Amino acid sequence: MEDLASRIVKKAVSLGCQDAVADVVQNRSYQIRFAQNEAVISNRWRESSASVFLVHDKRVVATDIKDLSKADDAIERLVKTAKASQKNPDYAGIARGPFRYARVRPDPKVASLEDGGKYVEAAVGGALDQGAKECAGSFWKYEDEHFLATSNGVEGHDHRASLYLSIRALLSLESSGHGIACATKLSQFTPEKAGQKAGRIATLARSPKPGKAGRYTVVFDPLIFGSLTDQVGGRLSAWAVLAGLSPFGKKVGKRVGSPQLTVSDDGSADSIGRKRFDAEGVPTRKNVLVNKGVLKTYLHNTSTAKKFKTKTTGNAGLVAPDSHAIFVKPGDRSRDEIFSEVKDGLWLTNTWYTRYQSYVTGDLSTIPRDGIFHIRKGEVVEAWKDIRLTDNLLHLMKNIVALGDEPEQMMWWGEVAVPNFVPYALIEDVGITRSAE
Amino acid sequence: MDVETDLVDFAVDRAQSRGATYAEARYEKQEPESFILKNGVLDALYVGHDRGVGVRVLVNGALGFAATNEMTKAGVRAIVDDAIKVAKASRRKTKITFAQEDSLQMNWSVPEKKKLADVSVEEKIAEIQGVDRDLTGLGYKIAARYFNLSDNRIEKYFANSEGSRIRSYSPRLRVFYFLTVMEGADVEQTSRNYGWSGGWEGVASWDLGKRVMDEARSMHRSLTEGKKSPEGKMDLVAGPQVAGIASHESCGHPTEADRVLGREAAQAGKSFIPPDGAGMRVGSEVVNVVDDPTIENAIAYYLTDDEGVKARRRYLYKEGRVTEFLQNRETAAAFHTHSNGASRAVNYNVEAIVRMANTFVEPKDHSVEELLEDVKFGVYMKSFMEWNIDDKRYNAKYAGREAYLIENGEVKHPVRNTIIELTTPAFWSAVDAVGKDLDFEAGFCGKSDPGQALDASLGGPTIRLRNVYLR
Repeated sequence: MEDLASRIVKKAVSLGCQDAVADVVQNRSYQIRFAQNEAVISNRWRESSASVFLVHDKRVVATDIKDLSKADDAIERLVKTAKASQKNPDYAGIARGPFRYARVRPDPKVASLEDGGKYVEAAVGGALDQGAKECAGSFWKYEDEHFLATSNGVEGHDHRASLYLSIRALLSLESSGHGIACATKLSQFTPEKAGQKAGRIATLARSPKPGKAGRYTVVFDPLIFGSLTDQVGGRLSAWAVLAGLSPFGKKVGKRVGSPQLTVSDDGSADSIGRKRFDAEGVPTRKNVLVNKGVLKTYLHNTSTAKKFKTKTTGNAGLVAPDSHAIFVKPGDRSRDEIFSEVKDGLWLTNTWYTRYQSYVTGDLSTIPRDGIFHIRKGEVVEAWKDIRLTDNLLHLMKNIVALGDEPEQMMWWGEVAVPNFVPYALIEDVGITRSAE
Repeated sequence: MDVETDLVDFAVDRAQSRGATYAEARYEKQEPESFILKNGVLDALYVGHDRGVGVRVLVNGALGFAATNEMTKAGVRAIVDDAIKVAKASRRKTKITFAQEDSLQMNWSVPEKKKLADVSVEEKIAEIQGVDRDLTGLGYKIAARYFNLSDNRIEKYFANSEGSRIRSYSPRLRVFYFLTVMEGADVEQTSRNYGWSGGWEGVASWDLGKRVMDEARSMHRSLTEGKKSPEGKMDLVAGPQVAGIASHESCGHPTEADRVLGREAAQAGKSFIPPDGAGMRVGSEVVNVVDDPTIENAIAYYLTDDEGVKARRRYLYKEGRVTEFLQNRETAAAFHTHSNGASRAVNYNVEAIVRMANTFVEPKDHSVEELLEDVKFGVYMKSFMEWNIDDKRYNAKYAGREAYLIENGEVKHPVRNTIIELTTPAFWSAVDAVGKDLDFEAGFCGKSDPGQALDASLGGPTIRLRNVYLR
């Protein structure tokens, strides 16, 4: 495997390609899905593939090769396809190596983990202890190993392994809570705590009443705040800006959030999304995206950086730049202090189905799920159901009035695509709507 | 015998010899090709060559699944042993069982008048560039133009321990476009998705050039002539795109049996319909909603599902009542019924689960003119942009993209961002008439973990809703 990436690149160059990238990946992940408090299926993968990116006379092509024994044939076909394609005048090359990478190895206890059953049982037990009746979710051991080579002198190796557990606890169809546990070290993996949180929220959400439309001061639990900051990270890809899929176009240097908000992307930091290098082989690093509410940069690869007259941020994907892991700088308030600031408002714990009416303006709606609580003078007075958050991404970010002092690592199915390190957040003037009967 | 047949049969035999009470193996070879034309520039061309084997076993009432792309006996042996091992480690208290189904020996394929494999990259690019050129010729300020044309050729071989042996071939074609039209600082955005099961002839069936030009004109008209949408209770005439998304979101998803049973609770959610909800009234008597994998040329066409069960048409709602859940063999056993062939996987490396195929409101006999003519005051919403629905599939929102005021049966000026925010029963109970202009769009339906974004089509004719709250 070590040599295969280099061999693919050499083959592409010998066929006339100016640029070539090969990322040979071995996937050894393992998963347990559970529902009704027990495993419904366990999955294991043994896959090897090569993600290849080639440029022939400014014609950009990409592929995934699954039959590695016939990699040469696949490259020949791909180059032939490239020749029949068209030039991309926006293409500006890949990063020039070699690079030095940080020394990072996975926790051997995570990499060698064979059975996740006890972690599922710990999470489910934690939720049931809090009064939940039904639990569902997933336990993951993610493990993949990357061997990267490029025609610009890059050679890199990255062995990644991490643990993840997502649990939803229910008392009934409309009384539920969600908990997340993420770790790169076995000793830091806390599935029971995730289960307890899910169970606690579910129990507190007992007998919810239909919510009321209006504008509210809202406490965002880290999971739902992570959904919003994940939107920020994704929409800051320069590619999204160019495609009309971002409200951040022409806003570098301008205010896009409250002075409380500082957001970074950092693929090099310890997270379950940690990477030593991006798809061009550029070492990952911390990039401050929003500093005290002011937009500093988009996420770039070499080509988009040239278009925006800046430098790559080390966020290249195979074609488009994207976030690795989002970090929100914590504030100075404890969780209790944040709640105590709410005279009459809401506490939202999770959401899903975030969709835009206009990506350019940032007008969106998203549907809170799991515990939704009406709070007065910092105390929960009743659980609600059936509301929708209807607002604007920039308006929400600008109206952050306080951030908690303890960020948590969040990642969740469909909504939080990469790890987001987020604290509790207090946001004012949040639009809430509900369905007509 | 070819390599994949040999390996799949070997996997099933080995799983049985290792103690599986049920075993199945699925080989898939996918050859996708796609490109993005962004603002007139060919961004990148993707050509895939994907193949591998997935094995699912039932051991001591627990399910194990494992997958590999190493197409050797050693590779397949390893995943069979993995699947057995992880199933045995499950420690389930209640046993999973499968509904008994007929074993099948079948070989089916979707015909192609012009084979996708014979269409050159140049021809594919030229097709989309022609549309893009016409679009820029309209003279509007189109801030972003994004087209994605993709095709895929999917070969499968399925075998199970009950004697089923099924081969299939499905060529599929899809176009997605996303446009941003501006007038001053004001903006309208749209996205559309059309699909086809068959050969390159599908492109002609879309009439893409006309659709894109009409869409851009309507966006420009909304920007220049659009007024605020009225608020209050009024009639709504909803076009095929709106009927299609509503049928998928609030009829198809809540009737997925795995969701009803809680297997998807932590991801895609549950359902407002309880397990004993058959017969429950959700809509008016004119509402029939169907899911049908056997519609020729629809993008989710198939004749056998990924558990080897024969596909058939399913009435989800009939005369406004819940009629049938979408079932696979696992859920069917829990409901003491039979699978209706709704089990699908996005590729060899994930388990097959309960999925919709081509979901639509069954057409009746009204013309669009007839639906409009006795509306005194209301909105004609032809398409939507933003939409979402809660995870029990009860509270849905559809925000209008192309919409017009209706007064005394006449279509007037465009109205901007009309919001339908209704419960599922409120939406479907208000339907008093159903048109005959059935049309489909394609979608990617998301579900499961790891996520499986699967080909689906969503359709319907124009429908009329009486006295619903809009804003």
